[in-house]
Amino acid sequence: MAKKGHRPKKKAAPAPASERADGSPPRSELAKAHANKSRAHAPTELVREPAFWFGFEVSWAKLSFARLVIFALLALDALLQISHAPRYGAGGFNVGQLPGLDTIGPGRVGFEIGQLLCAYLFVYAALGVATRFVIPAAAAIYAWLYFGSQLDSYQHHYLVALVLVIACFVPWERKPETVPGTPIRAWAVRLLLVQLGILYLWAAISKMSPAWLDGRTITGQITGSLRSAIEGSVGFKAAARFALLTELILAVTVWVRPAWIVALPVGIAFHIGILASGLDIGLFAYLMLAFYVFLVPDRLVVWIAESLPLRVIRGALRRIRLERPVAQTIVTGFALAISVALARFCRFDHAFVLAAVLCAIPIVLLAAAHLVAAPGSTLRRSVAAAGLAHLLAIGVWLVVDRSTTTAVDYFRFWGGNARRLGDPVSAEVAYRRLIQIAPDEPAGYFQLGRLLLARGEEVAGLEALHEAQRLEPLAARAWLAEAQWLVGKGRKAEAIQKAQEAVYSEPTNQAARDLLDTLSGTRSAPAAPVDPARPPARDDDADKPDKP
Amino acid sequence: MLKALLSTWAGRFIAVFVLVQLLLPLHYYLARKDPHDERFAWRMFSPMRMTRCQPTFVIDGKPTNLGAEFHEAWVEVAGRGRFTVIEAMGARLCAKYPKSEVRVSIDCTYLDREPRSYGGYDMCTVPLL
Repeated sequence: MAKKGHRPKKKAAPAPASERADGSPPRSELAKAHANKSRAHAPTELVREPAFWFGFEVSWAKLSFARLVIFALLALDALLQISHAPRYGAGGFNVGQLPGLDTIGPGRVGFEIGQLLCAYLFVYAALGVATRFVIPAAAAIYAWLYFGSQLDSYQHHYLVALVLVIACFVPWERKPETVPGTPIRAWAVRLLLVQLGILYLWAAISKMSPAWLDGRTITGQITGSLRSAIEGSVGFKAAARFALLTELILAVTVWVRPAWIVALPVGIAFHIGILASGLDIGLFAYLMLAFYVFLVPDRLVVWIAESLPLRVIRGALRRIRLERPVAQTIVTGFALAISVALARFCRFDHAFVLAAVLCAIPIVLLAAAHLVAAPGSTLRRSVAAAGLAHLLAIGVWLVVDRSTTTAVDYFRFWGGNARRLGDPVSAEVAYRRLIQIAPDEPAGYFQLGRLLLARGEEVAGLEALHEAQRLEPLAARAWLAEAQWLVGKGRKAEAIQKAQEAVYSEPTNQAARDLLDTLSGTRSAPAAPVDPARPPARDDDADKPDKP
Repeated sequence: MLKALLSTWAGRFIAVFVLVQLLLPLHYYLARKDPHDERFAWRMFSPMRMTRCQPTFVIDGKPTNLGAEFHEAWVEVAGRGRFTVIEAMGARLCAKYPKSEVRVSIDCTYLDREPRSYGGYDMCTVPLL
């Protein structure tokens, strides 16, 4: 065995051979430059970097497309989590994912702002703007949000936390001479794929139990169109075994390039199947599908990227590249002004203030580009993109807000938490904000009316209840609340009238019928039969727990 | 191969990352005292996910409404039988009601094993399940 001191020292280690789809050595100048860089940083002893990791290449077209898809999905996922923010820190209770994190876990405001920030930074990353800064920042914030509390039970959020750490080491930013077919050495992408392989392996191991193999587990979990498809074909036992086999296949193929011809169709079909299973797993399946972009043959992605329409778009973007300080300042200022205007219409809590504060990022980058950065530097050439990324990020906030119930749910859940945990002051703030952003939402008026009546503000409370009665004419609860309040005031005749209204509105509401019976001293008609498929009554301001 | 990998910071990062990810799930199978806690083990959709537990908190002989003490998401996590959360809930109630007895018991039903109960004692004196 050669001892370390006996080996003749060399100044450079050989660069690792590349691993390309066709097995050929790297052809581009970029790859050569990378090889030279590797030599320059190699230790004096002869050590060849393992090609499995450091020779792994993906085409620039594929890397940039994967960047766009993955970070766009993460931005969407971050914004959709905002509705769960009120559960964080509720009642002053928290248990961290790791010991010692209980006290530094996020509260409602911290979680909400953290997710807004993550979404903002993910949009920058998706566009390839300042990725060396925004991805580590997003990874740190995301890790705090995830590891700070066991309230996040989604295992794919643990995966995202790991992927973001890995993503810090992926060369996402485009170099000036890069073209779609340029091979980019990216050991971190290989690591990401190995991480997926490990995930599949352990997921398969967890299913190696009789309760999975005989189909019992899957029978209790799957709903939706896939359930009827399985029932009408292979049955749950075979489906369970097939899922296990699929995970084992993916565990050994997803990180091995020659095996991608197997992993790509199998993995995509598997995760589309999960989408059809009706499992409440957020964007997990979509995110996994996004990772499969890395398995698409480079030649196909490059061919698409070199197609005429995309060539035209790239050419146009190059022509409008803004490098003059005045032009960059005008574009950045215009983008910031529009973004602030857009943020006024965004209903997420703190969105406007945060958007205004975040304007500092493009401004600082603009100042740095022209006061600090060297002429011709990447920062100086692309600083206008930061302003546009800022504008797009705020636009994404607005689009997600206005196309989902996330912001409405946030205030509704906040009010519900506070109400149930005995904090009527916070509950009132939340319900007033809910009414402000969603004036057609009856829950806000109903709960606010009850809160106001409870503390003696009769006029305002009744006004809110009447508005709730108007907005949900087929629900008994607002009539019932008014009737109960009238009973408390000794106004029995009026209470009977309101209780009758409650029964008319919702004949199946047992509480309304019971109150009417009690007040009138008679037995009303038997209640209409309750649909057994109907879920049990649940507050409509209660947050829905995650599924693991 | 390993020596070459460990010769650079990136290689060392890769080695540690892969090793941790390969071995961390073993903790669930070999060392974790709580079978319901499947975090960091990649046990998505496992039979254990079908477990249903009924945690009962009794303070000085009176059953407590958990929904009035904790957010419903925590109650849901407790309903999956996660010991660390139930222990923290017990500790919280012990702090809130000093000199009281906070008796905690969990009755769990499983898909692949017989029902089992945990706890049943005062968590202010024995804080762990």
